[in-house]
Amino acid sequence: MTPRKSLVAIVASALAALSPSWASAQQEIKVGGIFDLTGVTSDVGKPFAQGVQDAVVWVNENGGINGKKIKLIGADYAYKIDQARALYKKLVNDDKVVMIQGWGTGDTEALKDFVGQDKVPYFSASFSAPLTVPSKFPYNFFVAPTYSDQLRSWMDWVKQDYAKSGGKGNPKVAFMYGDNAYGKSPIAAGKKYGGVIGVDVVDEAVLPPNFQDATSQLLTMKQKGVQYAYINVTTTGVSLVLRDAKKLGMDVKFGSNPYGFSESLVAVAGPLAEGVTGVMPHVPYGTPVPGMKNVMAMHDKLRAGEKGDAMYVRGYTYVMVWSEALKRADKAGQLNGPGVKAAAETLADFSTGGLSQSVTYTPTDHRPTMTTSIYQVQGGKLVKIGDYIMPRTAEWFGL
Amino acid sequence: MRCGDFRQSYAEDMSLFDSPLPRVLLAGLLAFLLVLPQFSTTYWLDVLNRIFIAIIAAAGLNVVTGYTGLISLGTAAFLAVGAFTTAALAGKAGLPFVVVIPLSGLLTAMIGLVFGIPSLRLKGLYLAVATLAAHYIVEFTVSHWDHMTGGVNGISIPAAQFAGIVLKDDRGIYYLIYPIMVGLLFFTKNLFRTKTGKAFVAIRDQDISAEVMGVDVFRYKLLSFAISSFLIGVAGSLLAYQARIISPENFPITLAIDYLGMVIIGGLGSIVGSIFGAIFITLLPEMLRLATDALGNQWPGLMVIVAPIKTGVFGLVVILFLIFEPDGMAARWNHIKAYWKLYPFSY
Repeated sequence: MTPRKSLVAIVASALAALSPSWASAQQEIKVGGIFDLTGVTSDVGKPFAQGVQDAVVWVNENGGINGKKIKLIGADYAYKIDQARALYKKLVNDDKVVMIQGWGTGDTEALKDFVGQDKVPYFSASFSAPLTVPSKFPYNFFVAPTYSDQLRSWMDWVKQDYAKSGGKGNPKVAFMYGDNAYGKSPIAAGKKYGGVIGVDVVDEAVLPPNFQDATSQLLTMKQKGVQYAYINVTTTGVSLVLRDAKKLGMDVKFGSNPYGFSESLVAVAGPLAEGVTGVMPHVPYGTPVPGMKNVMAMHDKLRAGEKGDAMYVRGYTYVMVWSEALKRADKAGQLNGPGVKAAAETLADFSTGGLSQSVTYTPTDHRPTMTTSIYQVQGGKLVKIGDYIMPRTAEWFGL
Repeated sequence: MRCGDFRQSYAEDMSLFDSPLPRVLLAGLLAFLLVLPQFSTTYWLDVLNRIFIAIIAAAGLNVVTGYTGLISLGTAAFLAVGAFTTAALAGKAGLPFVVVIPLSGLLTAMIGLVFGIPSLRLKGLYLAVATLAAHYIVEFTVSHWDHMTGGVNGISIPAAQFAGIVLKDDRGIYYLIYPIMVGLLFFTKNLFRTKTGKAFVAIRDQDISAEVMGVDVFRYKLLSFAISSFLIGVAGSLLAYQARIISPENFPITLAIDYLGMVIIGGLGSIVGSIFGAIFITLLPEMLRLATDALGNQWPGLMVIVAPIKTGVFGLVVILFLIFEPDGMAARWNHIKAYWKLYPFSY
């Protein structure tokens, strides 16, 4: 063998040795993850991210995406918008991910134009109604009824409950919310809906960021004779409102949204949470539904000693939905942004094993479900009191 | 080899470069930065752009806090004014960037003038609280002036354009930010070789003495606020062009504190310090994130444990800096320069 030939032989054998690892690298599907593990929403962002990670492990251990493994390239953006944007650019341009699992209002709002331009499906847990309109935001997805439909459903419950308790006339309702995109999201829809079904929205109380006291807002509500109030902030804020309402001896029935109402509200507010109602698009951890078995098995395996909650279930549910979209896109040979979007839009009544309502996306409507489950704290437990179904009308689309 | 100062005239004493070598090195650095985008990935370009914007704003804050001695917590608010002005002028009025950027700076300068008025009576912490009020006033305005700022939902900004040139991507916007940064840094550096700059420093060192010497303290304090806000407004304008979507959540009070951190760590009253501080505070979280994410993606179970470490490390590094280099990175830079100037005969 001449030196040159032997060199060729060495290179060839080296390539042959490397090729299996190349092949397996090609068998990977890269999915980006933008999480909040250390920022202002990390109390709920962390269990959500854990749910996503553990569900990806489950998918990979159980056949992957038609044999291909998901590679989740996750990172913490600490709820800082400039970092979310930098991270997004890294994931899309350098890592070349197929889609991204995002987190909350902060990153979703800052990236909504870019994901459309770059054609990167963006699943996030901000349930803002305008994101469900594909003609405006074709690549945004979430797995829950919109914030607006959630509030409408809660108001339906108010109407029922008021009639049941023998109230006369219309119930008097107040909305309490933070002065930010997440807090204000359903308010306009709620006010309009009140006029439709006969619920009087008599007061709106704006809660400042990181407030420690809601006495003055509650006193105004007391003067106006408010009977029901929807607290559209996160768990800590809801607990503070409940504390101050108790202090003032108020007899108001409170309700809250999926980030204010969960297992952690019971843990933080204790007996004050008794009787509070709330929207839960994803079931409490441990609910006996078919899908829960895997969730609990993964949690016990990977998070032994930690407490599972609905946020963990939420993260897990998201992966169930988009991994199905990936499977369908892969089968169609279209493992790319537009392919995954198109595959997601073929999901019709896709069951998550009871972890959430069944999910439907169409090319013209990204409202995943119109059904909102309302829960109530009864004896320190989260008890489901009903499902409320909104009509899929054009009038409320995106509002 | 130069082993001492040989300045023989006032002009030499005021010169920016005391020997030809730094001039050559600086020209080399500027040329390198000019071609850098050709070799950089989009992610690093984004980081570079953010560093350059931070340098402009940090230099602006240094004018008022480092050189004039007036502590300001209004940086985030002034950035917001610049950014939302750009959103209105570029988005709603459709003006090109050559008009938008200076106008954004000027409007911010005017707002800065207004919020600088309390500095006549107030100093130190009291002034800090007054500028904090400015922050909340601006924050409230941008979150509630819905048809102008998009309210809490934020607003999109079209790509920067002028005479048919559209700067769509990070590479394009780099060539907008970079020359503006270089120009403004030269402006700021030169400002402190003029009467105005010297008046600022006199006020910082002892305002009563300055007044006795004939410096119109109030006028120069306001001027300092105006120049500082102009720089920060331009930074805010560039930020809007770079981010393309802005909302009030982009400008929290913690951002103002980050900027104070930049000028303190970099070095108060030093342009080089603003550069170092901006690089350090922007790059440190990115580096820590890359490190913790690499660990976290290797062992997914560890991610939620290692991610918070970066917050702790960030605080620790800042504290260590303040302990071991209280005069900022600029002082360390001068030590290094002095060492090499006399090499190998330093002692």
